[in-house]
Amino acid sequence: MVERWRLLDTGLNSAYYNMALDEAIAVARSRGIVPNTLRFFRWEPSAVSIGYFQSMNEEVDVEACRRLGIDYVRRRTGGGAVYHDRDGELTYSIAVDEDDPLVSKDFQKTYETFCSGIVHGLRVLGIPAEFKPINDIVVGGKKISGNAATRALKVVHQHGTVLRQVNPKLMFTVLKVPSEKIRDKMVKSVEERVTSVEWFLKREVGFQELKEALKRGFEEAFKIELVPGEVTGFEEELAEKLRGEKYSTAGWNFRR
Amino acid sequence: MGKAEYKVVGGKLVKAQVEREDDRILRVKITGDFFIHPEEFLEELEEALAGKLLDESILKGFIRSLAERRGAVLLGVSPEDLAKCIVMAGEGDG
Repeated sequence: MVERWRLLDTGLNSAYYNMALDEAIAVARSRGIVPNTLRFFRWEPSAVSIGYFQSMNEEVDVEACRRLGIDYVRRRTGGGAVYHDRDGELTYSIAVDEDDPLVSKDFQKTYETFCSGIVHGLRVLGIPAEFKPINDIVVGGKKISGNAATRALKVVHQHGTVLRQVNPKLMFTVLKVPSEKIRDKMVKSVEERVTSVEWFLKREVGFQELKEALKRGFEEAFKIELVPGEVTGFEEELAEKLRGEKYSTAGWNFRR
Repeated sequence: MGKAEYKVVGGKLVKAQVEREDDRILRVKITGDFFIHPEEFLEELEEALAGKLLDESILKGFIRSLAERRGAVLLGVSPEDLAKCIVMAGEGDG
């Protein structure tokens, strides 16, 4: 019988709640309260997230974020700084028991396995996506998805982005650039190095269509059935606590 | 405080800030877009590096052996990359 996973679609939320809920799901999975889970989510307001090992002040123009009403948050996963556009990006996260056959002891291999769900999903849409080590998915050499994972409490938690549209100008207003002089050059370089679902397909692709394709991609790649479910009371309560006491605090976000 | 940035082959960026006393590390802070599992290992490493000689090969060996002892996995950055960046930052201090 095909293994059944829970599918969550938590819609639009603040960066602090989004990161808190990801951790809460991983904790719930570790306690056996919930099955393996795939979650789709978006960001409102748009936000910037930085990797666990990055410094907020080095990577992010915090003043510009405040001015533009953009959230900024540090993730529990490593990797780089990401601008999450409210209307341009779909984000996913996976929480899987470490003993699941999909999980390898080799971190690099596990990235490739988990990213295969996204790769398959993009191919469903007609986009010839490929995994690119360490943690990217590319189309014709251009990045369309970035991913980051961590392991704790015997659960692998991976989250990542799928670009529906790109907005490099806004990206470099909130992410720090080495100097003002090269801002335009960097915007141009992003246009050459990054692509998006709509840009590649030259047509509008709504969030619903994108989610359906990715759902199918994960089901085919992982040989699972995704069953729409709800966030449990345990997860909701823990997420609220983590939002207030961790992800929305300067102590966490400016720790490095 | 000396600062350095080092672009790793494969694309990740390591940044280090080092305060030195003579030829030893007083304090070091390492940031970047790499992965280390478990994540807390980096903080332990930074503390353990205090007092160490600013020598690339010594630091590389020390980082490698501490990572091995703790079962820490580095992805997108190697002990050599970290050592290189720390020494570069150390040279910029004072």
